[in-house]
Amino acid sequence: MQLTPVLELNNLKKTLKGKEIIKGIDLTLYPSQIFGFLGPNGAGKTTTIRMIVGLIKPSKGSVTICGYSVAHDFVKALSNVGCIIESPDMYKYLTGMENLLQFAAMNKSITPQRIKDVVEMVGLQHRVNDKVSTYSLGMRQRLGIAQAIMSKPKLLILDEPTNGLDPAGITEFRNLIRKLAYEEGMTVFVSSHLLLEIQQMCDIVSIIKQGSVIKTVNVQDILHDARIEWQLDDPEKAIALLHDHWNIEAVQLKKNTISADISQHPLDRMNELFIREGIALTYCSTKQTTLEDLFLDLTEGDQIV
Amino acid sequence: MFSLIENEVIKMISKKRLMFVLAILVVLISVFAYGQNQTLVRTKAQLSQRIGITATNDWRKLADQQLIDMKNRLDSPYMDQKSQASTRVKMEQLQYNLDNNINPLEQSAAKFTTTFMQQAIFLFLPLLIIMLAADMMSGESSSGTIKLLLVRNVPRWKILLSKYLTLVILEVMVVFFAFVLAAIISGFFFGFGGWLAPVATGFKVFAGKLDSSSVLNVPQWQYSLMVYSLAFFVAIVVGSISLMISILVKSTAASIGIIMSTLVAGNFISFFLSDWKITRYMFMVNLRLTDYLSGSFQPIEGMNMLFSVTVLLGWAIASVIISFMYFTKQDILV
Amino acid sequence: MFKKSMWYSILTVACVGFILLAIGFYQAIIVTTAINPQPSVKAPISLTTGDSTKLPSKNANSFQVLILGDSIAKGTGDEKGKGFSDYLPESFKNDTSKEILINNAGIDGQESLGLLEQLQSKKLDKAIIDSDFILVSIGGNDIRSILSLNALAKEDQFKVRQDSYLANLKQTMHLLRTDNPNSIVIFLGLYNPYETVNSAEDTRLLNTWNYNTQQLIEEDGKTLFIPTYDLLKFNLGRYIAKDGLHPNSAGYQALSNRISKSVETIITGS
Repeated sequence: MQLTPVLELNNLKKTLKGKEIIKGIDLTLYPSQIFGFLGPNGAGKTTTIRMIVGLIKPSKGSVTICGYSVAHDFVKALSNVGCIIESPDMYKYLTGMENLLQFAAMNKSITPQRIKDVVEMVGLQHRVNDKVSTYSLGMRQRLGIAQAIMSKPKLLILDEPTNGLDPAGITEFRNLIRKLAYEEGMTVFVSSHLLLEIQQMCDIVSIIKQGSVIKTVNVQDILHDARIEWQLDDPEKAIALLHDHWNIEAVQLKKNTISADISQHPLDRMNELFIREGIALTYCSTKQTTLEDLFLDLTEGDQIV
Repeated sequence: MFSLIENEVIKMISKKRLMFVLAILVVLISVFAYGQNQTLVRTKAQLSQRIGITATNDWRKLADQQLIDMKNRLDSPYMDQKSQASTRVKMEQLQYNLDNNINPLEQSAAKFTTTFMQQAIFLFLPLLIIMLAADMMSGESSSGTIKLLLVRNVPRWKILLSKYLTLVILEVMVVFFAFVLAAIISGFFFGFGGWLAPVATGFKVFAGKLDSSSVLNVPQWQYSLMVYSLAFFVAIVVGSISLMISILVKSTAASIGIIMSTLVAGNFISFFLSDWKITRYMFMVNLRLTDYLSGSFQPIEGMNMLFSVTVLLGWAIASVIISFMYFTKQDILV
Repeated sequence: MFKKSMWYSILTVACVGFILLAIGFYQAIIVTTAINPQPSVKAPISLTTGDSTKLPSKNANSFQVLILGDSIAKGTGDEKGKGFSDYLPESFKNDTSKEILINNAGIDGQESLGLLEQLQSKKLDKAIIDSDFILVSIGGNDIRSILSLNALAKEDQFKVRQDSYLANLKQTMHLLRTDNPNSIVIFLGLYNPYETVNSAEDTRLLNTWNYNTQQLIEEDGKTLFIPTYDLLKFNLGRYIAKDGLHPNSAGYQALSNRISKSVETIITGS
């Protein structure tokens, strides 16, 4: 069964002030997926998001939401979207509820009951009738999320959503997102620089650097990758042995440390071999790769442009 | 569209800008009414000094005298045809004053209300409108709320249109309140009457000169209505231009600064550069529409009511077009 | 909710207001641009300018007097509505049995330039040609605005105004003489209508004005300068009208008597 993609980015490009900041992004997202957009500052995450929701017009390429083109069918495309961009700037001189009512008035499908439900979902029942100028950052963030999910969108776009939330809030948020995605079938697009968060929340992650996506990975796959680290006195010999016997490519990390991805191969036999060949083995352990490793690896630190 | 406009109006109410503008109106009108009252008292004192106490209150005899003189004038074979109408109009006014026992020196709520707007139309009223309009778009840009406003299933032009219509509604409110406040506050000083008194209008511009040949009298309430509707028209034009600047410039303070300086420059321009043909087409020079009604203007070649109205309309339409085109294409980067 | 009800009232006021203002706007445009708005009263008076059948024609049994100039010439301020037009004939009657025919072309607020333009329009040519006497009252409006200036500006403005007034007067005399070399031109001097004590300065200026006027018109042999300053100086209460500016009936009568006294010989002689 082929599902209709919820979001399709086709060779999306953007040139601003003579500089090409988005160099061609392709992406397809399906229902119930939680997608993470990861990149260093200035990589183009927010610009891409702005193009998805129509705040910026793409220089080339197209954005299609639930089959509707954002450029040509704006209203239909946007009816399926809920969004927070950077900080959710609400009308400070109105109360939380008044803000929500404003946005609800623009979309006929939102009922008063739905607004109440959403307010409870984000935990703002007790403060929703106070002016937004009295809210803390965390409360504003919650209000922003409420405003985004009010219309039961098929595509939920969140730019730095856990900004300002305390650890309990972050966990709550993660559960909420999971619920929305798996129980209500929403596609969630999260952009963040908090690697751990993305790793814990998302199914698929794209890493963007200098305007292009350099890698897209399935989070599960990364986590299954386990590397073994050995500390021994003859690294070159050990590397040769691993290569000859099991065809494993090991790398030397530091003076006496090597590391290798051994997949299913038996670790005990390897250690036995090392000792039999006269290598003194002082240390052996598994090291789980994280997204962070991958990320830093790929982006080589903090080169922005 | 209705709910969009409702949204915008509620925002305006909550922002308290409308209240602020109305408060300014109250304060200023009170100050002006008080000032006028003082001037009146002083003028009466001066006249008494010069001519003798009786003369100022003895206006009836004076009016009778003037009526006789004017009748003689009309009968004279040397009477200039053109001045016929204005003489007749003045006679009607004198007769009305005599019949209703109104000392022409006295001020009335009706007179004050009209005069107030005649003076306010080219600077003060635009200032009030700018305060409302300039913030409409740049306020949203600078506070970032524009992001949430535009990421909706509502096309951008509809959002802009709702703001524009809200602005028109607010303009009606400002003009309406100016009228009501002026009438009520001045009523406390000068009495609440005067609405049926005849006022001369019907001045035309013929070949660059003031032509009074079709002058006629209209009751004060009708004259006031005309003055205030011209003010409303000016408000719409200034509002459109302000909204456009607000969209282009994105900062409320800068928008207000730009428009206020063009308005003030306008007063200089009409004084210093009255020779340049191009100054006639600037909007700020054409704001004194009420002067055409009262015949109290310096005829500059080619300028009459229809000309000024057309020029202003042109500016308004151009502003609206530019606003819509720019706003719908703009990249929102804030 | 409060805000909601405010919104509804605003909407109502706005709709009603908009309609009213649109109507008013339409009216304002009509009133200032239409070719024929509804006139208040139709003219019952038929105007003729230069229609010779209306003007009295010259003959041997009458004196024709043409009155030119400003509101004083016209007779403004006379509560009986007579002015020079009625009092002059009355005064002249004492000295002659001939009919006294008056043409009055005085205009309120007329200044020396206006009078000159009036003559240049040629509408009064016939009246001038036919006249035996021409009474002129002009200059009051020229000088009036200067006297209210502050001391610094007064002197300069006075010189400028006076010069241009005298130039106009010279040309006016020239035009009159071109049409009628024989008519006696009687010129009224200016008086001071204000009760309050004027500065010595203002009095001096007024006298200078009158003096220069007299000098100019007396260059022509058939003219006469009639001062009014002395007659009215201490008689303001008796001779000045309620408007504080023009002569009243008694004033016009007194002035007419003075004029007729001055030309007594000419009237009885002819």
